[in-house]
Amino acid sequence: MSRRRLAGAGAALAVTALLVPSAASARPVDAQAAKAKPTITMSGSTSVAPLAVKLIKGYLKKYPHSTKFKLAQGGSDVGIADVAAGRVSIGNSSRDAKPSDPGGLVFNKIARDAICLSTAPGNTLPNLSQQTVQAIFSGAVRNWSDVPGASISGPIDLVVRTPASGTQDAFQKLFMGTAKVASSAAAKASNGLVAAAVKSDPNAIGYLSYAFTTGLNDVSYQGVECNLRTAKAGTYPGSRNFWMVTRGKPKGALLKFIKWIQNNPKATKLIASEWVPLR
Amino acid sequence: VSDGALARMRRPWSDVRAERMLGALACLVLLIIGGMVAFVFAKAWPSFAHNGLGWFGPDHVDHTVDQQLTEVFDSPAKPQDFRYEVSAWPLLWGTVVTTAGALAVGGAIALLASIFLVEFAPPWMRRLLEPVVRLLAAVPSVVYGLIGILVLVPFVGNHLISTERKESVQFIVQLSGTSVIVAVAILTVMIVPIMVAIMTDALRSVPRGWIEGAAALGVNRWRVMWTISVRAARPAFVAAAVLATARALGESIMLSMVSGSQGFAPNPLDGLTFLFEPTRPLAATIVDNAEGLSVKPFGQTIYAFAAVLLVSTFLLSLAGWAAKQPMKRFGNAV
Repeated sequence: MSRRRLAGAGAALAVTALLVPSAASARPVDAQAAKAKPTITMSGSTSVAPLAVKLIKGYLKKYPHSTKFKLAQGGSDVGIADVAAGRVSIGNSSRDAKPSDPGGLVFNKIARDAICLSTAPGNTLPNLSQQTVQAIFSGAVRNWSDVPGASISGPIDLVVRTPASGTQDAFQKLFMGTAKVASSAAAKASNGLVAAAVKSDPNAIGYLSYAFTTGLNDVSYQGVECNLRTAKAGTYPGSRNFWMVTRGKPKGALLKFIKWIQNNPKATKLIASEWVPLR
Repeated sequence: VSDGALARMRRPWSDVRAERMLGALACLVLLIIGGMVAFVFAKAWPSFAHNGLGWFGPDHVDHTVDQQLTEVFDSPAKPQDFRYEVSAWPLLWGTVVTTAGALAVGGAIALLASIFLVEFAPPWMRRLLEPVVRLLAAVPSVVYGLIGILVLVPFVGNHLISTERKESVQFIVQLSGTSVIVAVAILTVMIVPIMVAIMTDALRSVPRGWIEGAAALGVNRWRVMWTISVRAARPAFVAAAVLATARALGESIMLSMVSGSQGFAPNPLDGLTFLFEPTRPLAATIVDNAEGLSVKPFGQTIYAFAAVLLVSTFLLSLAGWAAKQPMKRFGNAV
């Protein structure tokens, strides 16, 4: 009871697009049981959510009224916990499988995404090397005047994600390696909150999914610009995988939906608008 | 159910039946509360058992509560290797600071506003203000949170905090606008309407004779309010304070958005900087970290936070009851 309420609270926190309020109240759905009109419920990563919304809309355009969808957010770990417990049929995850994940889960890769480094629009920092990123985020460098290329001076405000976030996990792996993020960093619970914090604070730097970077100053990483072209070409070093996690191999309507995402050219085009398709 | 049974249900209930049905309902509420407390404590136990009293202790600069939470989250998969180390003092202190700050500021404002509404306001203003106050009491907290994050936080961060102030503490904490002062300000706005609603009702139910008696002796209205009405209504003020504190303690979404995103214990000795330091109360920590519930030791730590919040609300009700006892002699009528 209380666990569900917490998951619901997490979902409510996500201020970005939300199709149907809460999967916390959604009953477990077996794809085969609902014969008349199968329902696919999802919860999980706030990074995957905007992509899921687009894919659902595209799928319903192709197969109108074929399937009912419910989408909630909450973070990658909420999605994985929900799907493992049978509360939803798909858990969206922006992090790779971990050894501590519950057994019996199948990770279906649907797309790739770029994690961009962003500063406030007033700070036209062009590029950061991996060394500088690590120095900034670990707290070794704390003033913008010590960062080559920064157009402002003053203390650096770090904006990061909470420990359970898939974006945090990917950032640690792709950018930080073994270096630790400084304890003075402000940890936000969603991509949207990071974007809001970076936009309103001229001294801030943060990392977020490419889809959320509108209105911010995108910083190149290791000399490669963070955009779809470089991520698709594989030259941008900060890209990661998006997964739809199912309990066991997907079957029935679920299989049809996931196969459509992975193989259909229309779906590929939808993904390519802001993310990196697999093919 | 047949039509006959339905018809029987619609007939007026006998007293015995009403007593049994309502009694069952009341017992159900007790059962739900009892079950909830037992569930939360059972889930939270490993976190308390592992840390002992250190759970409530202060953290270390090189090993902050946020770093501890990250380590708990990254625990190895084997149950015997689970990490539980948490020193939650910064979160508890953050809860105390925001709640007490809002209660002190809000209590004073609410008291003066209700005296005005009951005794001094012209009737047209009273008719306008009272529904507005009741409406304000029902505004969802996420709306306040949005206003805070889009308007107040950038304003405080960009205009009230100087670069020198930021640099003076930058190795420990970053001052970016999400701060104690914004949290207290918005929390105050949230709890004042509840307190005003209860306080005006209480001031109005002070027996007319007491007030008229004092007025007949030549005491002016302000003194009558201050010496008679406010004194007589004190038990209701305690009730208002308890309700407001409960809302402030449990407020999560708004505080998670504006109060700082860092488990830091603001230090009153820092002077003015104290007001601009970030903090993250318990309830906000729960919301921020709810995504990690699937990791077992992390989930148990989150439940431990919930357990502490539950106990503090019980203590709060108890304290409210105890505070009311000596005031009863001023009048049970209120």
